[in-house]
Amino acid sequence: MTERGVWPTVRRRALFWLPVAVLAVLVLLAAFPGLFSSVDPRACDLSASARPPSSGHPFGQDLQGCDVYANVVYGARASLSIGLLSTLIALGIAVVVGTLAGYAGGWVDSVLGRLTDVFLAFPFLLGAIVVLNSLGRQSVLAVALVLAVFSWPVLARMVRTMVRASRDAEYVQAARAMGFPIRRILAHHVLPNAIGPVLALATLTVGGVIVAESTLTFLGLGLRTPSVSWGLQLATAQSRFQQAPHTLVYPGVFLAITVLSLITLGDVLRDAVNPKERS
Amino acid sequence: MKRALGAALSCLLVLSSCAPNQPADEPRKAISYAVEEPITLHPGRQTIAFAQDMVLFSGLTFAGKDGAITFRNAESVTSTDAVRWTIKLRPRWTFHNGEPVTAKSYVKAWSAVAYGPNAWENSGQLANIAGYDALNPANGKPAATELSGLKIVDDLTFTVTLKSPDGQFPAQLSQAQTGFYPLPEAAYADPAAFAKNPIGNGPFRMTQPYRETEPMTVDRYDGYQGPQPSVDEITFKPYTDMNTAYTDVQAGATDILYVPNSRMGQVKKDFGDRAHVFQGLAISYLGLPLWDKRYQDIRVRQAISLAIDREAVSKAIFDGIWEPATALTPPAQPGTPRGLCGDLCTFDPVRARKLLAEAGGFSGTMEIRFPGGFGRDDLFNAYANQLRQNLGIKDVTAKPTADFPEFFELRTGAKLSGPYFARWGALYASQQNTLRAIYTRTGGCSNCVPDHDPAIAQLIAKADAQVDPQRAIAGYVDVQKAILKRFPAPPMFFEKNVFATSERIASLDEGAGLTLENTTLVR
Repeated sequence: MTERGVWPTVRRRALFWLPVAVLAVLVLLAAFPGLFSSVDPRACDLSASARPPSSGHPFGQDLQGCDVYANVVYGARASLSIGLLSTLIALGIAVVVGTLAGYAGGWVDSVLGRLTDVFLAFPFLLGAIVVLNSLGRQSVLAVALVLAVFSWPVLARMVRTMVRASRDAEYVQAARAMGFPIRRILAHHVLPNAIGPVLALATLTVGGVIVAESTLTFLGLGLRTPSVSWGLQLATAQSRFQQAPHTLVYPGVFLAITVLSLITLGDVLRDAVNPKERS
Repeated sequence: MKRALGAALSCLLVLSSCAPNQPADEPRKAISYAVEEPITLHPGRQTIAFAQDMVLFSGLTFAGKDGAITFRNAESVTSTDAVRWTIKLRPRWTFHNGEPVTAKSYVKAWSAVAYGPNAWENSGQLANIAGYDALNPANGKPAATELSGLKIVDDLTFTVTLKSPDGQFPAQLSQAQTGFYPLPEAAYADPAAFAKNPIGNGPFRMTQPYRETEPMTVDRYDGYQGPQPSVDEITFKPYTDMNTAYTDVQAGATDILYVPNSRMGQVKKDFGDRAHVFQGLAISYLGLPLWDKRYQDIRVRQAISLAIDREAVSKAIFDGIWEPATALTPPAQPGTPRGLCGDLCTFDPVRARKLLAEAGGFSGTMEIRFPGGFGRDDLFNAYANQLRQNLGIKDVTAKPTADFPEFFELRTGAKLSGPYFARWGALYASQQNTLRAIYTRTGGCSNCVPDHDPAIAQLIAKADAQVDPQRAIAGYVDVQKAILKRFPAPPMFFEKNVFATSERIASLDEGAGLTLENTTLVR
């Protein structure tokens, strides 16, 4: 008889280990960029502007003559931290709202459900543009917060559905009959069984948020110099693509790999926790 | 044979259509020009419709490519004391509706432009005419409605009395100072309607009223008395993003474009000899916040100037098109003393560090600010990198504001703490325009260089008072020498006007801005 559960299912899949390995490297990049590049990303030599890859500069130099490789390495931190931070905030909001709505039901559910719908109905990009423009200062935290505000509703819906499903399960009814306080029932019986699919979805969200950050930065609304981020690199490189394609290609490839890994990982996890949805 | 006879016959019947200067088989010469949405075409109000108004109207004088002033609608503009000017108009000029252009067309128009309650944008161009202050009291409604400094002598002659002597007055009357244009009687009843469908005295006339977001076509005016244009028809195509216009010109869908900063690095590669570079009348400075103690030592300011490799910056960002500034005014202004700045405008990082060290170093962060959305991000990031690396200041950043109004507010309110964007594009080719704008308190380039020394203002006034052009130039050079001794801000670049054209265009002509009517087409 084969083992059941998420871990035994995923650990035999190559599609699980591949993205995990890639993400591990990226997290290392973000945490210790100095290990991967001894070049200061802000040491720039204008006379070597837009020079293609050469020895000492494996990815070439950008318009300002800065090392593209060093910028890609240091840029991982901004992109990943915004992705993680924003998803964590969104997850926090989603768990609170979703659990409340799912467990309480009735009018609470209706009110919170409509609230979620309001946020879902709001065009994300438009909302982010309005908020970031009126904020003025654009730090990693501000961008993460704005992105979180617009990405929690999907997660909250998922939490609500899962909580509703396990609310009436027999073990929950038993716990209730034994007179456990609600907090304990939620924390020990409902949430542990509801959270799996939500985490899988959250992994997908991280990828989405990273893309959204790049989009906003590309439009001049996200991070700004002197921050180092992939979105910023893409924004400066786009108008010079024909003269210096390497300044666009390398950060673009890193961004694509990161997002692809996160999406693949999210898919694998979702398949494992919820085989019915497997396509 | 029969057809030839028929053609000859129709020539006899309709003589005008067979005039020798317009052979029937030659197609109309039509060109199109990419513009921003002009909003208004009223010469007293426009701030971004120069191209349109410069072909719909003709000024009294005209500035050519080298900045030389010739007379256009005026036959002569003369004075002996630089205060009282006599302007004689050329005879037989008419507006597009047939109304003759007379002294009254000018005098009435100038009074309307200067009249405070109208609040027309180009009013300031007339500020030195006597009686201007009476039309613009600090509060309340002005008692007068006409400029007291203007007197009509006869149909084609009027006199102008200035508040202070100004030998550059004829240059101020040239084509880009649209506040000095004449207006027909039809302009006054409904200025808003006139702004959409102006009736001018220039080489081209409107074919139909201007409508926002739609291309606007102007047609050659046969009654025009000035130099004949080389094209028959000009279409102004509005774009919200000039990068789109750039690709349109590449594809041949539009003929002429003023190349935006963001495309300057590649325009020569994309267009080859269809990229036209003109001197232009704009100069870029790096403004310094003199209200901040750290910038009050002249050695710090000199160090900043010496630490930026202008040549390398232009080469990397603008493909070498911008020219490193070596004087305080752009070279297209006659008599600009190229090279006057000397060593201080060259790149010398060793001397820069030494000067900074002598001044006691630099403490804290240096935050360079500039208006976002104008394609200048790369330029200011390059400044920041240069200052950080060559001066050894650890934390130098370049930060754009959200838009120009935000930047303007910060600069006007002296709320900037680091170097900043300072640029002046002159409207007429005289050093006076740039020096006045940047170095006098009410000059217009508010806080571009926040150093308003009375001695400098006196030197400018002294040069202004010269009627003889050569003596005026010598006076302005003295002004520049005196300013350079104070070195309030480093001049950075003589900017250039770059145009890209489609394959249909053979040549462009520039005076104070593009002289569209002299464009020639490939045959």
